[in-house]
Amino acid sequence: MNFEAIIGLEIHVEMKTKSKMFSPAPINFSDDPNTDVTLLDMAFPGTMPVVNKEAVRNAIRMCNALHMHIDQELWFDRKNYFYSDLPKGYQITQQDRPIGSEGYLEIEIDGKLRKIEIERLHMEEDTCKQLHFSNYTLLDYNRAGIPLIEIVSKPVMHSGEEARKYVDKIRELVTFSGVSDGKMEEGSLRCDVNVSIRPYGETKFGTKVEIKNLNSIANIEKAIDYEIKRQSELLLLGQDVRQETRRFDESKKETVLMRVKTDAVDYKYFTEPNIVPIKISDEFVQDAIDTCPELYDHKLNRFINDYNLDIVDAKILLNNIEIADFFEKISSFSKNYVPISKFVITEILGYLNKNNLLIKDFKVEPKYIAEMVDLLKTGEINSSQGKEIFAKVIKENKSPIVIKKESGVSLISDEDTIRKMVIDILAANETLKADFKAGKDRVKGFIMGNLMKQTHGKVNPAIANKIIIEELKK
Amino acid sequence: MKKVTKEVLVDASNRLLFTMSDEEFDLLLEEFDTLTKQFNLIGEIEGVDEEKPMTFPYEVYQYTLREDIPCKPLKKEEVLKNAGSVQDGQIKLPKVL
Repeated sequence: MNFEAIIGLEIHVEMKTKSKMFSPAPINFSDDPNTDVTLLDMAFPGTMPVVNKEAVRNAIRMCNALHMHIDQELWFDRKNYFYSDLPKGYQITQQDRPIGSEGYLEIEIDGKLRKIEIERLHMEEDTCKQLHFSNYTLLDYNRAGIPLIEIVSKPVMHSGEEARKYVDKIRELVTFSGVSDGKMEEGSLRCDVNVSIRPYGETKFGTKVEIKNLNSIANIEKAIDYEIKRQSELLLLGQDVRQETRRFDESKKETVLMRVKTDAVDYKYFTEPNIVPIKISDEFVQDAIDTCPELYDHKLNRFINDYNLDIVDAKILLNNIEIADFFEKISSFSKNYVPISKFVITEILGYLNKNNLLIKDFKVEPKYIAEMVDLLKTGEINSSQGKEIFAKVIKENKSPIVIKKESGVSLISDEDTIRKMVIDILAANETLKADFKAGKDRVKGFIMGNLMKQTHGKVNPAIANKIIIEELKK
Repeated sequence: MKKVTKEVLVDASNRLLFTMSDEEFDLLLEEFDTLTKQFNLIGEIEGVDEEKPMTFPYEVYQYTLREDIPCKPLKKEEVLKNAGSVQDGQIKLPKVL
């Protein structure tokens, strides 16, 4: 029997604001534990939540990117539960009136665009960070209150691949819009997956299994594909799928049971009485949309059309927004856009990968990279000289033009000198001219090879090539 | 809604870490019985489920949001002052899962 998988995703995204959702406590990922905390984050009596403007602006930008209806009245609710990660005993969220509803995004599957419908997007606050050890737990309240958006898809995906592409698209949208850094490994983008299966043609949903704690996009696909296989095998053996929460074990490449779900938890939601409903103006919504940083698809088109990059190179650069930004900074100093893109991809990314560094660790001025590419493009230096100079540029963050002058690196570009050498080679090899005229093009390569040998690779290839052709045609 | 029985109340008191006498449980059960009857009465009012909660009975709105400017946070010592146990600058609890 063939089964159809039904997959829905809930994605939590930590927003990149300077202060928390309802308190003005600062947010710094690398700060010492319990140093980014105010009285409100610790739930001291008498403290009152006040909504962060930037968080609302971010939520609007995401709603717009996901083609959602935006509710211009903000209402918040209390989600009540008793747990150590939540000092108030409730989380402030938007249960009844999410800021965004009824949206979609598009992903490419087998060369065709597929629309994935999104049910809701709402704002809420993060809980504190818990570190569990064998017999104790540690609490860090720095994370308590960080603004989150939760994006809930409709249960409309059918494979691990679709889910992976959906999450990748969300990650791309939140990073390019500046809403979040979208780092799954640091927990700023977290994903819970609901998977059920049913025989093809059946309209009733099967029993839903939730998979939690997925910390990479690749693992989302693997976990779902494993879970579909597991549930199919159970049903084929005549067994039931239990309603449970599972996690993905990366070493075993399988999902493992966390807990069996019995009754649905009743969170006793009610309207948050400490936040009077907020009306946001048309102007505020429009301004948030108009000032949203350029999104991926638009940037991709611009890289292809304005910089003449091929789609593969453009996508490599856009794979990381910081690298794409660095490319654009370099391109503001030189119009050699294609050679710049190649240089960034091969030399800079190669250097970063080899040394296990991030682009933020690369301290060379974009202007110097532009100079470097120009020197190579005009033939003032050859590629091996380029490598030597680039190593010094990285080490000293200094202009490659200055380094070239200081180290006396140069190519023989004097036409008379090169011409005399070419004439000498032709005189020593009398058949070359006749061979060239008979159509043997490799003659040019032979002469160039000799020139390079004589000069230890220091002849300017562009000028040499021109002179070789002139002399052969005489 | 879950029926409030003595077992439910015993379980709740255990979870909330306090002890009650049998008399107190009986008194509480009586109170819940009265409350349940009153809520059932309200539930009989026609269309009551369609009524909005009266958290904000008047149409009053605010139009401003807080600027995203961080304040000076509490000192770490103050944050941890009321914690029964602290380790590595974090509040230490018996293991919770």
